[in-house]
Amino acid sequence: MKKKLIRLTSMGLAAVMTFGLAACTGNGGGGSNGGGSASLEYSKPDSIKMTFDTCMTPENGVNDVCAKYEELTGIKLELEKPDHAKYYEKITLSFASGNPSDVIEMGSTYYPENANNGALWDMTDAWENTTAHCKEIIDESYVDALKMDVRDGSGMRLYGFPTVAGNGTITYVREDWLKDAGMDLPTDYDGFIKMLRAFKERGSNGKTPGAIPLTAAGLLNNGETPYDIYLREFYQDAIPDFYQKEDGTWADGFSEPEMAAALTRFREAFAEGLIDGEVVTNKTSTCRDKFNSGLVGAFNYWAGMWDAKLEDNTPGATLLPMPAIKETGGYTERVPTALVITNNCSNPVGVFEDLIMYSHDGGEGQMLFTRGVEGEHYEVKEDGTTVALKYLEDPTKDVEKSFYAPELSITKWDDPIKLDPRVENSLEVFRSNRKFATVPVVSDVISDSLANLNVIKGEVCANVIHGNLTVDEGMEKYNKEAAPYVEAILADLNG
Amino acid sequence: MAKVNVDTLVVKKPPLGVRMYKYRYFYLMALPVVILLLIFYYWPMLGIRYAFSTYKLKHITSGQGPDYSTGIGNFQKLFTDRFFLDAFRNTVILSFWNLVFATVFTVIVALLINEIQAEWGKKFVQTVLYLPHFLSWVVVASIFTLILSAGSDATGVDTSTVGFINAVFLKLGIISKPVSFLTEKSTWRPAWYIIQRWKETGWGTIIYLAALSGISPDLYEAAEIDGAGRLKQTWYITLPSLMNTILIVFILNLAKILNVFESVFVLYNELVYSVSDVIQTYTYRKGIQGNDYGYSTAIGLFKSVISLFLVTGADYVAKRIRGYGIV
Repeated sequence: MKKKLIRLTSMGLAAVMTFGLAACTGNGGGGSNGGGSASLEYSKPDSIKMTFDTCMTPENGVNDVCAKYEELTGIKLELEKPDHAKYYEKITLSFASGNPSDVIEMGSTYYPENANNGALWDMTDAWENTTAHCKEIIDESYVDALKMDVRDGSGMRLYGFPTVAGNGTITYVREDWLKDAGMDLPTDYDGFIKMLRAFKERGSNGKTPGAIPLTAAGLLNNGETPYDIYLREFYQDAIPDFYQKEDGTWADGFSEPEMAAALTRFREAFAEGLIDGEVVTNKTSTCRDKFNSGLVGAFNYWAGMWDAKLEDNTPGATLLPMPAIKETGGYTERVPTALVITNNCSNPVGVFEDLIMYSHDGGEGQMLFTRGVEGEHYEVKEDGTTVALKYLEDPTKDVEKSFYAPELSITKWDDPIKLDPRVENSLEVFRSNRKFATVPVVSDVISDSLANLNVIKGEVCANVIHGNLTVDEGMEKYNKEAAPYVEAILADLNG
Repeated sequence: MAKVNVDTLVVKKPPLGVRMYKYRYFYLMALPVVILLLIFYYWPMLGIRYAFSTYKLKHITSGQGPDYSTGIGNFQKLFTDRFFLDAFRNTVILSFWNLVFATVFTVIVALLINEIQAEWGKKFVQTVLYLPHFLSWVVVASIFTLILSAGSDATGVDTSTVGFINAVFLKLGIISKPVSFLTEKSTWRPAWYIIQRWKETGWGTIIYLAALSGISPDLYEAAEIDGAGRLKQTWYITLPSLMNTILIVFILNLAKILNVFESVFVLYNELVYSVSDVIQTYTYRKGIQGNDYGYSTAIGLFKSVISLFLVTGADYVAKRIRGYGIV
């Protein structure tokens, strides 16, 4: 009896484990047939799988936004929100495993790479033929900013739809420091340097011990394009990347005299102590901490919401968003973050219309994807006004957004929750002085070379500015070490 | 009564098939484990073949699969890329010295903890030493960036924002200007070794403390009768008794010698790339950012082969010197 019991137990255990494993390795997915045709005829999707990075957290109720979407549209929205630090690693691996979500939020560094590799659905026809209300209220310059040429002969095509405006950095100046120095906001480089010198004086005359005239979270932003998004006052007309000249040919901006001039400006200002000594190692959070502790006179940081946040968190400070100085020709607006539809999606037109267009409809969809769920993230008061409620996770802060930042909306819609005037003001200053960055050019040759090339650029910039290399030595080092990569890339682009 | 000569008794082993049938239920019970091993350990190894191919995202999206005409092309590319060679050199240097420091410091700290007589004191010290292990590398990097900061004044005149270490060194007159430990090529590696030891030494003592508790008190008692002091007891009893554990931990750590990533990733910067960039950070840039799976697999395979040689080599040396190893 005992032996029989042991036999049965062992067989049962083996069977359960074996079938369990078989179930684990089985293909649980289905329904995706790869690719879709750009036709306006579509059926409503039953469900959509979406991967998103910059939405609110599940603890703050993002799943309730998805549930509300299902209630309003009848479409189940399955949201995946990976850890922010590992977001692109996760996305890359999902493509590598051949199982990406239907819709993915994708930054401008990864968007062209994936489009070039044929991983994204071409939504040009869907956008051109849509009859959605979005088309009437959108600022098309943001859509155009995402059009790119994958050099297959089809010309400029759209592989992603902007979630919000790309935005960019602007230089915030401490108004009280400026008043103390008896100065107005500078309009040119000389004035800018004079202002920084005056801020430096606060440290030496004991008014603000440890005063940092200007800080930023890096010199060369080589983790994301455009590389010169920070400290435009020093880059001016230099382009530390490949760019297309007026005659249509491509050139390497980093090896040009304008870049050497930019490095000279950086080096001189750094040696004089006008730029934060830790600019190379600064993270955005460390810059904010320095600013909030009252040590910083000017801070090159994102336009919009940060104007109010920086001011509110820095005791006694008032901020002025500085219009771009004349030598820069304006601030740079990044390529917007895109919502892409992958070729894994079985009903791309349906997803485009019922999710993307719906979320920019200027009505209930936009409200849901911008402000969240009524009663949980915002409420309409008896007098008809709409106010943001507090975050579930942090009852001291107002809900700012569910998926899309309201201040960066790409559509002209009547947001019932009014923005802080400081936020609107800084965006106005930024936008009156901005130029759009273009989608970074991609090719197999660039993909092969870019990582090493960016290391060389980063090394040259940092070492020249820190005085370890002269500008000439730095340019020589770049021209020598980067030559094989630059030559190969230019041959590919101009070939 | 019949006598059995035990010296000449030969127990004949039944054939394998008979033995397997006899123990068939044990084999059946082991089956899921074997299947699990095959699926999760050996099946993924088939991916090694991608190291000999060109395999990028477009090969997946187009459905054409990897291009095996590359052959050993990825390895040729690897050994002609100066960034990889720099990264390989840095990995070996950083890992080797870290392994040496880890072994030495961990054993010393374990011995010191073992000498603490008061139980509560021992527990307190252990807790304090273990805590840094549970901090993420991002947090550790933030802490040490602050502590080691040379301040925000690039001219070095205004020292009011320097970090704790620079402030102390300046006060004691050890340095005349703040030193940016994490952006100077000469100081980055020493700083990294110290940060590694701060975080991991306490945790590493656990295994040695367990081994120390297994040493017979009789040995110490006998040594004491023979007139041996604490140092001689440590030298002649404790260390020889710990040798097996030290050897095992050393060889196991040797297998992980090329797996340095997070600690470097959060602490390096453009000014110190030439002394800090390691294989894993290089792979991250090339593989994840460049979607080059064939090349990344080639790097991974290269790392595994080197690790295999290191472990089997160390095991061989251990066998030659001490008569035993772990493999």
